[in-house]
Amino acid sequence: MNRTIEVGLTHAEGAIVRTLGLIERRGFVVNAVETLQDPHGGPLLLRVEVGSRGRPFDVLVRQILRLFDVRHALLVEPQAGQRLVC
Amino acid sequence: MKGSEALLEALRDRGVEVVFGYPGGAIMPLYDALLGCGIRHVLVRHEQAAAFAADGYARVSGRPGVCIATSGPGATNLVTGIANAFLDSVPMVAITGQVSTPLMGTDAFQEVDIFGITLPIVKHSYVVRHIEELPRIVHEAWDIAASGRPGPVLIDLPKNMAAGEAHGAARVHEPRPPPARAEEALLARAAAMIAAAERPVLYAGGGIGIGRAVQAFRDFVAESGIPVVSTLKGLGSVPTDEALFLGMMGMHGTRAANTAVQSSDLLVVVGARFDDRATGKLDGFAPDARVIHLDIDPAEIGKLRRADLALAGDLSHSLAALAGLAQRPRIAAWRRHCLRLKAEHAFRYDAPGEGVYAPELLRRLSVAADGEATLTCDVGQHQMWVAQHCLIRRPERHLSSGGLGAMGYGLPAAIGAQLADPTRTAIAVSGDGSIMINIQELATLKRYGLPVKVLLIDNQSLGMVRQWQELFFERRFSEVDLSDNPDFAEVARSFGIDALTIDSRGQVDEAVDALLHHQGPLLVHCRIDPAANVWPLVPPGHTNATMLEESLQ
Repeated sequence: MNRTIEVGLTHAEGAIVRTLGLIERRGFVVNAVETLQDPHGGPLLLRVEVGSRGRPFDVLVRQILRLFDVRHALLVEPQAGQRLVC
Repeated sequence: MKGSEALLEALRDRGVEVVFGYPGGAIMPLYDALLGCGIRHVLVRHEQAAAFAADGYARVSGRPGVCIATSGPGATNLVTGIANAFLDSVPMVAITGQVSTPLMGTDAFQEVDIFGITLPIVKHSYVVRHIEELPRIVHEAWDIAASGRPGPVLIDLPKNMAAGEAHGAARVHEPRPPPARAEEALLARAAAMIAAAERPVLYAGGGIGIGRAVQAFRDFVAESGIPVVSTLKGLGSVPTDEALFLGMMGMHGTRAANTAVQSSDLLVVVGARFDDRATGKLDGFAPDARVIHLDIDPAEIGKLRRADLALAGDLSHSLAALAGLAQRPRIAAWRRHCLRLKAEHAFRYDAPGEGVYAPELLRRLSVAADGEATLTCDVGQHQMWVAQHCLIRRPERHLSSGGLGAMGYGLPAAIGAQLADPTRTAIAVSGDGSIMINIQELATLKRYGLPVKVLLIDNQSLGMVRQWQELFFERRFSEVDLSDNPDFAEVARSFGIDALTIDSRGQVDEAVDALLHHQGPLLVHCRIDPAANVWPLVPPGHTNATMLEESLQ
């Protein structure tokens, strides 16, 4: 099963790698990644399409939220046909 | 002011009195600034010991421990200690030297990407890129390490950042928010569940000690009258001689604890994470129990076992609120049943023979100390015997590498514990396998005259591995024989440490007396039966209802 997680990150060294690493270490698969720069200087937006073989996504989101550089993290509601570009 | 001076000033501002470390090339500017700065540096003989000592210091003091190493091998030698702190939620600030920023990424001498290496085992980490940011980074690192669910924070300090002069004002760091509190409505629901339970059990984890919630937990136990079991790290949440305490649960837990949990209808899980060593086969764990899960870390809720009710937030607040809200459950019959289990399956100490029976030695030692000594453990059979048999009055008096299971933890952790509380005897209980991992730290005891005691239980093998090979690998013993050990008493004496060796039951009183009253450091080398095993045991892959006892073997 795949879901998309949106993560708001501060611009800090290692923030993206730390987040993606956590997702993989917790037993999920990173299928696709997209980053978006907020033109107004807000957080870096990271959208990750994540695959799971039964591990709960809500627990993963809470684990991501523990990271110091993470401003927000949420599960994006699935929309038919929408996929991230690798 | 130089960067290294700014870093040390920030540590002093946080009240740091002792740091543990080992110098080297890239960290030399910091060591230069350490001279006369007012912070005591304890020179260990291997960086891993610096991290373990900082860990022990933190667990006893309740404040972050600080360890320092140089770049490259110094930094990588810290890794096991950092991982240990991460898995056991111990507050720590680890400072590593790094090559100067222009050299980073060029494979320079003693350059490793310690920031990258430690990403999965730190709560947070920094590479210092601007000298002016050092005070902010140190204060922020301290707050992150100590707040919420504690953990290690790494500061990688390039040499030019330490040696260079700071220009301009530092950005002020923002204090961490106070811990969240569980919602009143959820607390009321939890109170109702507790009042209605017929077979409730309190499942105490390491978070009680780490969260300094011991008194709140004890008050709740007294108020509710609910039987208590604990994880390895939860030991001491209530004194282990408390009437309602049924023992440690899990793989080497007591039959009373495991049986009570398996037949419970409500588990109130406090600061625990359903570790596999505690739960056994998870899908058969406490099959009829509803779960109320209290934890400071929301990410632990539902990670391994679904919680019927989650109370994420400060444990002291939640427990105090529950104690005020919950009606005492009517569980007299259940309590009697649990206490009968405890009596029927109590450990026996009348082992046949004249050799030293390690469980009895450990029990007598801890009782003679009245649970007031700090016991640190290495990893293996002796670790489980300590957990099963020692009188432990508080979590911070039982330091054990729970999550990582790192052999070599005990001696350096005892060094940290002794320095954190010089009034209390620190006793490192070790094995003949574990002691060799960090035996060089006997030199640290000698150098600083630390009155740490080492109780070395020697079965001439890697006992826990041997036990598993005996039980689960058809007695095919593979690379567990340590019968060529050195004479440990002579080794200790060569470091300038007093030592004695015992191998019979009649010498136990002498050994206990020496461990508690000898002036200065001491190593007691205790030879035991190489065939001794830890009982009871839940075989791997089984539920906690399946316990092997010695008599069945």
